[in-house]
Amino acid sequence: MSDKPDLSTGEPRSDSSGDAYVGLLTQIMTQTLDQDYLDVAQRRESSSGDSPPRWQVGAVAVLLLFGLMLGLAALNTAQEKPVVAAERAELIEQIESNQGKLDNQQATLASLSDEVTKLQQLLAANVADDRLLTNQLTSLGIDAGTLAVTGPGVEVTVDDSGYSVGESGGVILDSDLQLLVNALWQAGAEAIAVDEHRMTTLTAIRFAGEAITVDYRSLTPPYIIEATGDPDTMPARLLETRAGQAWLDLEANFDIQFEVVAKDKVSIPGDARDNLLYAEAKGAS
Amino acid sequence: MIAVFGLVLGVLAGLWLEPSIPAALQPYLPIAVVAALDAVFGGLRAHLDGIFDDKVFVISFVSNVLIAALIVYLGDQLGVGGQLSTGVIVVLGIRIFSNVAAIRRHVFHA
Repeated sequence: MSDKPDLSTGEPRSDSSGDAYVGLLTQIMTQTLDQDYLDVAQRRESSSGDSPPRWQVGAVAVLLLFGLMLGLAALNTAQEKPVVAAERAELIEQIESNQGKLDNQQATLASLSDEVTKLQQLLAANVADDRLLTNQLTSLGIDAGTLAVTGPGVEVTVDDSGYSVGESGGVILDSDLQLLVNALWQAGAEAIAVDEHRMTTLTAIRFAGEAITVDYRSLTPPYIIEATGDPDTMPARLLETRAGQAWLDLEANFDIQFEVVAKDKVSIPGDARDNLLYAEAKGAS
Repeated sequence: MIAVFGLVLGVLAGLWLEPSIPAALQPYLPIAVVAALDAVFGGLRAHLDGIFDDKVFVISFVSNVLIAALIVYLGDQLGVGGQLSTGVIVVLGIRIFSNVAAIRRHVFHA
């Protein structure tokens, strides 16, 4: 316990050999000579005896070994130098070549992303065009009668009076229906169908034998005519036309059924024929 | 004189014969050389002080080399081999410097 440093005063302790306690680093720097040399020298002085010759041989052998180690270490380092340098050069070369590759790929990336941007712009433009064309096609299809449509409109039901003309009854003629359809156009109809037959620019309403034909197909009364348009104004506008007045007369004088009903939704089929038979667009091949 | 002759002979033998060291011992050769260098300079200083002793020299040499290699081996196993090598080199370097300074004082009396 007495060997421990006095913590309260911080005084260096003194050890058994009488040397003052010093820090580790100081000890390393000051006591460089092995203490054994001094001890042995002191003992020798007292006994006055030389070391036995076998230790001298040992010292020479140790020195030989030291020389050997020295030579080998030097040799090893010298041998490793070119290897290390070659590895280093190879690594530098790899770094440079990879850096070149990286630069190339970055340039490619930049040009590719430019291309992507251009293509995206093109795509956006095309999509906009496409939408425009689709809208145009839809409105053209509605006008031409190739597209089936639904929407608010009116439903006109007409029927023969049920007895012959001579008995002050009436049969609806093709001209009557033609007038009615034209009156509907006049009243603002966008699409018209007679008994589920779409009225297009090429649809004929004819009288063949006893029956009225629409698009060369015979119909039987009652005839139901559907038209899309403003359901609030169309019935009134229809009756204001000359044909509407004529139909009111027919109803009054010949007991023909003529009923105009506004509807929230009417369905009008499309005409399957969607190509022109004779006409060709000017300039088109 | 015999000692210097042995040293030179050893170096020449090492350079010419190129004996192969086991690969496991190769990493410890440089640190062993530095430790041996410390023992050799210590012996040289003791010789100049007139207190050289063959037995002490041999024992200090062998123990220096073995302990230095052992410390580095231990460091390698613990994952601090590089740091321990540095520590050993620093301590031995300080001792070598001090011993060489003492030898210089003996030789040049300055």
